Amino acid sequence: MHPISQPVVKKDHTEKMAGSAEYVGDFYSTDMLHARFVRSPHPHARILEICYPELPEGYCSVDHRDVLGENIVHVVEDDSPVFEVDEVFYVGDPVAMIIGPDPQRVKALAAATEVRYEVLSAILDIDDSDTVFFDYHYGRGDCEDAFSEADKVYEEQFSTGYQEQAYLETQGMSARYEDGLLTVHGSLQCPYYVHGAIAKATGLPKGSVRVIQDYTGGGFGGKEAYPSFLAAQLGVAAMKVPGKDVRVVYDRREDMEFTSKRHPSRCTYRAAVKDGRVTALEIDVRFNSGAFTTLSPVVLQRGIIAAPGVYHVPSLKVRGRGLRTHTVPTGAYRGFGAPQTFFAIERLMDHIAADLGQDPLDFKLAHAAKKGDPTSTSGIYHYEVPLPEMVDKVCEMSDYRAKRAAYAKEQGRRYRNGIGIALWFHGCGFTGSGERDFIKAVVGLHKHADGTVEVLACNSDIGQGIKTTFSKVVAAELGIPYDQVSYGNPDTSRVPDSGPTVASRSLMTVGELLRRAAARLREEWVDGQEQSVEEHYHEPDFMLPFSLEDFSGDAYPTYAWGVSAIELRYDSLTGANDIVGCWSSFDVGTPIDLAIVTGQMEGGVLQGLGYSSMEQMATDANGRIRNNSYSDYIIPTSADVGELAVSMHVVEFPFGPYGAKGAGELPLVGIAPAFVEAAEQALGARGINHIPLKAEEALEYLGAAQKEAHR
Amino acid sequence: MVDRYAPTSLAAALDLMAHEELVPYAGGTDLMVDEALGRPFVFLHGIEELKGITDNEDSFIVGAGVTYRELLAHPATPELLKEAVAQIAAPAIRNTATLAGNIANASPKGDGALVCFAADAEIVLRSAETARRVPIASFYEGRGKTVRRPDELVTAVIIPKKHLAGYRFEKVGARKALAISRVSFVGLMTIEESVVAHLALAFGAVEDVVARRPAIDAMLIGKTIEAARGAAEEYLAAWDEAIQPIRGRVSAEYRKQVCLNLARDFITCRLG
Repeated sequence: MHPISQPVVKKDHTEKMAGSAEYVGDFYSTDMLHARFVRSPHPHARILEICYPELPEGYCSVDHRDVLGENIVHVVEDDSPVFEVDEVFYVGDPVAMIIGPDPQRVKALAAATEVRYEVLSAILDIDDSDTVFFDYHYGRGDCEDAFSEADKVYEEQFSTGYQEQAYLETQGMSARYEDGLLTVHGSLQCPYYVHGAIAKATGLPKGSVRVIQDYTGGGFGGKEAYPSFLAAQLGVAAMKVPGKDVRVVYDRREDMEFTSKRHPSRCTYRAAVKDGRVTALEIDVRFNSGAFTTLSPVVLQRGIIAAPGVYHVPSLKVRGRGLRTHTVPTGAYRGFGAPQTFFAIERLMDHIAADLGQDPLDFKLAHAAKKGDPTSTSGIYHYEVPLPEMVDKVCEMSDYRAKRAAYAKEQGRRYRNGIGIALWFHGCGFTGSGERDFIKAVVGLHKHADGTVEVLACNSDIGQGIKTTFSKVVAAELGIPYDQVSYGNPDTSRVPDSGPTVASRSLMTVGELLRRAAARLREEWVDGQEQSVEEHYHEPDFMLPFSLEDFSGDAYPTYAWGVSAIELRYDSLTGANDIVGCWSSFDVGTPIDLAIVTGQMEGGVLQGLGYSSMEQMATDANGRIRNNSYSDYIIPTSADVGELAVSMHVVEFPFGPYGAKGAGELPLVGIAPAFVEAAEQALGARGINHIPLKAEEALEYLGAAQKEAHR
Repeated sequence: MVDRYAPTSLAAALDLMAHEELVPYAGGTDLMVDEALGRPFVFLHGIEELKGITDNEDSFIVGAGVTYRELLAHPATPELLKEAVAQIAAPAIRNTATLAGNIANASPKGDGALVCFAADAEIVLRSAETARRVPIASFYEGRGKTVRRPDELVTAVIIPKKHLAGYRFEKVGARKALAISRVSFVGLMTIEESVVAHLALAFGAVEDVVARRPAIDAMLIGKTIEAARGAAEEYLAAWDEAIQPIRGRVSAEYRKQVCLNLARDFITCRLG
């Protein structure tokens, strides 16, 4: 492994261990005002009147009439208001806010605010949706021909549920307007997204808005778009009370019920099989976007580009829709649309293989794309596809083949084992040409006279260690000690826009810009002098330009690869399972810090295991999230996996720093299909096409299998 | 306004409780997350008299201040209790949570209370003026309700050791740690000279109070193994009839099915 992979002490280790790192809820000032939302109790209703209670001195209300700029929170499109005006679209939709010095009193006043509504009919299920936010189509080859010539046609439906990011720190933001400058700081992933949203909502020129990322207790995508909402709302409030801090820190229930989570999905896949090969796929993907578009277009794009999985299938016809319902807007969560479609394609391939009497792993390997093959969007896999070697490694670690054969035979009275395996990729960086056309990242390095170097970028350390890995890259390229490089929490008044902290792009894309900046600084280095360099993004020349019109070209410059085997042991008396082990091989290029990457991989695997089964999020008759606390929404702990083993496979990417590719999202993406394949074997069931797979259902499958055995 | 007390003797605590309605606070692991509680607390951690574990020939007595960690570490703690306690929450919680708190809290999901039900434990209640021992089955009046008077404190739990040998403990949680039971089960069966000498099943987290039905268990007690085998279906049918699961995040049907599966498996394994 490359020497740079050698673990170091993380840049933020000391302050986090010592408790001196300040999160947004830790800031204290004597004149702080606290904010509380007045939210819609209805999934869909007309607002007739807002009646505030008599507000004591020092307290005030904030609503759409206070929005001095446009009443819009800019995400991708401009359909979400800062505060609703005359209609509400989901339970929790913000109508107004009360601010004041005593949080308990603010809460009581918000509760005492009466909004009169005329209730309108609500659509809670995507099957009933009458609003298609996005409808994408792409394909290649001749599907019609392939289906008419097929030996056999398979059709299956798949569904996946919500998933809550469950970051340790809830959403929180603080704003202060003073001397014409609006300063907002809080828990967030993308300082310049927040910056743009505030400027639009307040009408302030961009130079009058300053955004600072505080230490952030996890994001997983949940702090990509949502902080723009909070910041716009608080920015509007702060301008009403100049000279005072206005802050909101969500409690867990508020956070779980009203902030974005993973898109629930329903997919229909049709496959044509000829001579034992899948010759065509017709795929229909539907995502529940909730009440507003927010990040749905980009989540959906990634989801449908990944829809055929890692397989080379000659003919494709793919449709993807983001549908509106009167539920909480869904958004970014690690994997960004791909976990839903990888679940579908992996299950489908398992089922086709089983029907053909073939080993599912061999069947998958026979279809896996290779270097030089076309991608789903008629781009090219420009680099080595290391799946065969990674599969071998995982088989060796897990003893997959022997276990798969053994568990197919009759098992013990009480416990039933099963093992499954899945193959997947994660497209590294932004989908399509977003990096080139929209983000246009800029980074800088500032060298002080004493030879210390400061990284100027706006990517936020949300636990993934970007402060550390950026610093390592810069130090290595400059040939100076790691301790001589620093990277503080981004402040838009000091750092350029290097783009958002999303899409597993920060290290690969921004890290490479920093490496290039460092290379230049090394050339120009003069001892004792203050020096600055700046670097701008350029798309690598080898890429086939991507067109969003027809989804053609290279959607990603390169891919990170994943293979995981999961073994389950089900209790036939209770339907509960033990996760005996999860063995994975991941290729994220060169790990810039092996300890950090290993932690990322293990954590992502655990989130994937939670997504598969125990993380269940139900809604009530109004579409409101019921599982709104950690005693109700169960995420896995380290005690839930017997053996959690991760092995790194390295295919270096020449356009990433020291060969690094995207890492953060990869490990979660393909866990669920491996889990369910293992469950199918253990439960003696066929065609389990949904997650989360509950213990109740497992018990029913076991009962059915037992009845079948008795017959 | 005083809203918390930290007495250092039992007498002082009981004296305080005689004069004011206080919430006894032992480990506090349930109370500290309950924002709605308005009444003042009396902290018990400073009372040495509540911290004892007594291992008698026929009973194991746990003081109200004894934590789960202390129970796990004690050499005389019955294996059944150890097995149940080892699966409660996580080490940080077990460092401070107590068995007595688990019982007095009157949640139907308490795994410690479940063991005490199966073992027919007695709860010791003291006030400044009175002392009494209440069988655990009589201690509860419903979910969250007990016979403890406001001036009384649970000071100890007496667990008879007689029938604990042939136990089985099962906990079905949503995960392996920090999980509230969805169903929990204790089965106790003693066979002496081919006769069922003792039988006690108890189910946690299914009804408002732990489900323990001595009258049903009596159907098999005193029978030879062979006769008991013959009556097993009738016995399980009686449990099927008896259990009325509460609805929650998991369905009542599921809870009941799991109870019956566990009961059947236990009985079948023991009777052969």
